[in-house]
Amino acid sequence: MKKIKKILIANRGEIAIRIMRTCREMGISTVAVFSDADRTSMHVRYADEAYNIGPAASVVSYLKLDKIIEVAVNCQADAIHPGYGFLSENSEFARKCAENGIIFIGPTPEVIDQMGDKIKARLTMIAAGVPVVPGTTESIKTEKEAIDTIREIGLPVMVKASAGGGGKGMRLITNEKDILSLVRSARSEALSSFGNDSVYIEKYISSPHHIEFQILGDQHGNVLHLFERECSVQRRHQKMLEETPSPLMTPELRLKMGAYAVEAARAVNYTGAGTIEFLVDNNLNFYFLEMNTRLQVEHPITERVTGIDLVKQQILVAEGHPLSFTQDQLKQTGHAIECRIYAEDSDNNFMPNPGKIYNITEPLGFGVRTDGYVYEGYEIPIHYDSMISKLIVWAENRTEAIERMKRALYEYKITGVKTSIKFLARIMDTPDFRSGNYDTNFIEKNKDILHAPLKSTEDFEDMLIIATYIEYLDQLNINQTSKVMYPAKNRWKKYTYQKNFERL
Amino acid sequence: MSFEIKLDKRIATVEILKQFENLLEIKVDEKIYQVDLMHNDEGIFSILANGRSYNIELVPQTKPKHYTAYTLHDSYDLEVIDAEARYLRNRTGTTLLLSENTIVTPMPGKVVKIPFSVGDVVKKGETIITISAMKMESEYKAPMDGIIAFIHVKEGSLVEANQILIVIE
Repeated sequence: MKKIKKILIANRGEIAIRIMRTCREMGISTVAVFSDADRTSMHVRYADEAYNIGPAASVVSYLKLDKIIEVAVNCQADAIHPGYGFLSENSEFARKCAENGIIFIGPTPEVIDQMGDKIKARLTMIAAGVPVVPGTTESIKTEKEAIDTIREIGLPVMVKASAGGGGKGMRLITNEKDILSLVRSARSEALSSFGNDSVYIEKYISSPHHIEFQILGDQHGNVLHLFERECSVQRRHQKMLEETPSPLMTPELRLKMGAYAVEAARAVNYTGAGTIEFLVDNNLNFYFLEMNTRLQVEHPITERVTGIDLVKQQILVAEGHPLSFTQDQLKQTGHAIECRIYAEDSDNNFMPNPGKIYNITEPLGFGVRTDGYVYEGYEIPIHYDSMISKLIVWAENRTEAIERMKRALYEYKITGVKTSIKFLARIMDTPDFRSGNYDTNFIEKNKDILHAPLKSTEDFEDMLIIATYIEYLDQLNINQTSKVMYPAKNRWKKYTYQKNFERL
Repeated sequence: MSFEIKLDKRIATVEILKQFENLLEIKVDEKIYQVDLMHNDEGIFSILANGRSYNIELVPQTKPKHYTAYTLHDSYDLEVIDAEARYLRNRTGTTLLLSENTIVTPMPGKVVKIPFSVGDVVKKGETIITISAMKMESEYKAPMDGIIAFIHVKEGSLVEANQILIVIE
């Protein structure tokens, strides 16, 4: 068993800091890497050591695996934690780490390969007896074959690129007459995006629930699950908030899905933390969707209800320790919700809104956790993801958790950029969310409530106008000090003024 | 000293009537308020009026006399129209404010595409510039029919927030 003493975190932003926090608690020293655009990022300031790995664009920095391994070798890091995104599901990176005597904190390169290819993953799951969405088990290479298969499965279907990801090469077919044109466009997009025009076909499940199970496996053959996360609130196929337990879940269903999730992970001898994603329909039929062979963005809600630090478990497993608990010892206590705070304009098609943070006040108080990375005066770079933090609350039950989240969102003040905070607060007030009766169609279905124009009273507008007026007078005052005593002076100002004067 | 302040479509006239330190009697259009107003150099305002507490943070924009106000969950753009601004508006004989014929970046990013050049005729709603930021591309449309008068940026160049990109006449 090798004790890990130093970890290089091959990532940036909030997840890099999240990982470093656990390292600090475990007495492990931390190494940050950063691009030219991230010199002032909090993860660089938080780490024990930090090294520049290239220009702003991630292809020439955070995705440059040779460069990152070179830094790790030179600073004698024992292990690399890839976080999520970037190189976290890159088997070549995992392989190269091993070749250079560095522990890759994640599953083996073989498992990453096996689960990364959607068709291979489907076949593995079918072999393990895990239910999958009805569809093809082999990639389809000709147009005729595609059309025959679609007729066999029956509409509606999804056509997806085998090598796909990020929604590219994906088409929903609901109408008989569109079959030919949509199959063609899916194949040509797959070819141009991935250099491979093979596709596979799945039955389309309309407005499903997106529910995933957290998995932990060690190097001694133990695999267990840490219950579910409900991730159905999505916009642009990206999650906005997650909660656990899922309002849809019953104890029987949890037992059944948990057993399949463990079975799925066991089928590939999974080690470390991973996630099995399922689609669940309203009749509680569930289907394997895909496996994520890494830590998920939304892992904190699982940590909150189980009390288990998942990053710590990843590190212990990587060192070779067996898991120190069994499935029977695990339980979900209370209810946790995570909201993703994005720098974006919710009223304008969720357009990203990078910029400089003026003031930030993070919520505190009982049951609140924030995993973020921005600070006052920090300029959010335009090159990376727009997520600036995650707000996680815990409470004894779901109702209390929703009220606590509302309170925490109320306290959360970020100025200088537009954020998703207002939109998230509205979700907390939407009847479908409060009743727990929602699926992946939630945002679309409730768009009138979520995007309703803000009712601001005239008094309120007047206060904005007064503030602007005073601020402007103040500006004039600074520039034209010899003129009239402007009335906008206040005690704070006067105090500073006096202090400066006394210094003379 | 009274000023006009523009908030969305509303233009309000503001004037201080009385003041004792942080206690102000202030007139907004026809309404008179007694407020207790505290603020600091970072643009944080705490206003107490009629027993209610208002928490407002003002951030100056790069254009002078333009501010963004942040309140609970929302933000508003405000503009001070002083004597100078009024003079400029009267002189050009138009009621157009800067924002109405000008494309300004709401966020920093990189210019991907400008399908027009100076002198081209554009129709309201046509995409006149595409900007990418945070892995997403956004298209900006012409706010009115007209002729492209100025283009201040090139394809491929990096832009700041609130930078003037294109002016239409």
